[in-house]
Amino acid sequence: MPATTSLPNWLSRRCLRVQTAVVLQAAGLIKNYGDVQALRGADLDVGEGQIVSLLGRNGAGKTTMLSIIAGLLAPDAGSVSIGDVDVLADPEAAAKLLGIAPQETGIYPILTVRQNLEFFGELAGLGASRRPRAVEVADQLGLGPLLDRKASQLSGGEGRRLHTACALVHRPRLLMLDEPTVGADVATRLQLIEAVRQLAEDGAAVVYTTHYLPEVEALDADIVIIDEGQVRARGTQEQLVAEHRLQGVRFTLDGEMPPELASSLGAVEVGDSAYRALGDLDMRGLLSRFGDHADLLTSVEELRPDLETVFLAVTGHRLDSDGSPSEATNNASAGQAAASEGGTP
Amino acid sequence: MTALLAITKVQIRIIRNDPWFLVIMFGMPLVVMPLFGETMGLSLRASGFADATGAEQVVPGQVVLFGFFVGGSVGFTVFREHGWKTWDRLRASAAPSAALLGGFGLPWVIIHVAWQALLFAAGALVLGLKLNGGSPVALFLILLGYSLCVISLILLTTATFRTVNQLNAFQNVGAMVFGGLGGALVPLEQLPGWAQAIAPVTPAYWAMRGHTDVLLRQGGVGDVLLEFGVLVGVAVVVGAFAVGRFRIDETKEFFA
Repeated sequence: MPATTSLPNWLSRRCLRVQTAVVLQAAGLIKNYGDVQALRGADLDVGEGQIVSLLGRNGAGKTTMLSIIAGLLAPDAGSVSIGDVDVLADPEAAAKLLGIAPQETGIYPILTVRQNLEFFGELAGLGASRRPRAVEVADQLGLGPLLDRKASQLSGGEGRRLHTACALVHRPRLLMLDEPTVGADVATRLQLIEAVRQLAEDGAAVVYTTHYLPEVEALDADIVIIDEGQVRARGTQEQLVAEHRLQGVRFTLDGEMPPELASSLGAVEVGDSAYRALGDLDMRGLLSRFGDHADLLTSVEELRPDLETVFLAVTGHRLDSDGSPSEATNNASAGQAAASEGGTP
Repeated sequence: MTALLAITKVQIRIIRNDPWFLVIMFGMPLVVMPLFGETMGLSLRASGFADATGAEQVVPGQVVLFGFFVGGSVGFTVFREHGWKTWDRLRASAAPSAALLGGFGLPWVIIHVAWQALLFAAGALVLGLKLNGGSPVALFLILLGYSLCVISLILLTTATFRTVNQLNAFQNVGAMVFGGLGGALVPLEQLPGWAQAIAPVTPAYWAMRGHTDVLLRQGGVGDVLLEFGVLVGVAVVVGAFAVGRFRIDETKEFFA
């Protein structure tokens, strides 16, 4: 009798990435707010069972993209479909296939956990099944013992879990979570990540935005880097690191950069007295190259080929945990910037 | 229809979980009514209603006046959804705009009618208000027409205003101005001529006229059809404006 083995979860998802049907297809999305171009022809597709993590700084266009996909915002141009449903033509039909947890916690504080879950289930079209389903989702997110507690009496993390639970109570084909773990404690993060992984294993397509890179790794998600309203890169973490590896040092100075050093290091200024030099250079090498000028250095940081430096290479910006830019090049394209510095874009 | 029912049910549940607003809105008119009962009795008798006790003016008057405050709650609940950040979740659901507006409006029409009816019953107990041969069905029609009119007016202002403070201001000033002009504070006959001339632009005028017909003139259904028709007609027109003006994607400030 032949032995049968099931594929590990991460491998199943990898396989699903190429084998399963596309659930979300967004193409050429353009959205302007007055003179501000929030989206400039962004594309996104997500397949069944796939988790896609949108990475981008504040203002990169992530929330605008999610809002358009959810039918909350009309694009100036582009198309969005969920399954076979055109979101722009039939938003009500599309909404039934969608679960969204917006960035800000949106729950009814005056209702209990159970009442919140049952309401959003009923709103999405669940009949009597909303009752057992509410219990099931609550258990999944560690809210089981709190079912009859008013939402106003929940802790911040519990409220955040309820907020997410309300989005998945009707088992949507497409789940969109906009920074679901902001302000959440470690336990909450782990529970949310596990719930998302479970949902994806059950076949849902998931779009997950976050600033926390360890979460992206934990989700084993496909990563989409979005910057200035455009998708700049997409792939698994391994693929992105291989394609956009960035190695070198970042350092800050107390004083002027000696011109001869700037030239020989290929260093570019990336902030107020902050510089970056790419290539086969580590901290020891930098100190040696500075020689007598080493006392100018106030900080040195080695850039290693990881997701953070991938983001830096692709966008020219760091992805801080609060999403604020801590480093920027003067060039529009960070890839070009990196290339012009002699590094690998 | 599923979404409409779901939203209606959750609104009723929210009210049930925190009924104190309605309790206060029920108690306050009951405190005020006895204060003015005797004075209104004198006023009505001077206007030619020889057997009037005053309850015929003060009970419907307070119902009409406070009815504007109670009706204002429908607007408050819409703004509160923005404050609770649940509005976007409702928008992202499969609920069409009409179901959203209906889901917020319908429970408050029911509550508004029931609240008016309970206050009339309380007025009968406390001040001895009697129908005096007037038709209870006619009275119900006026209650229903006034509720529809007030709720649709508040929905229009909710669609128009961006902040809850604007809504509060309109609700407070509107209650006093519309109520005062419409004869809710003192009988219409006691108002200055210019006020009597413009009174018909207020829903309170038509409601008070209907109540006077039923309570003081032994009016039947046929006697209040004009008042009922005007109230419902205004409700339909204003409601249509509200639906047309309502921008589901407009951001509203709960506190600003």
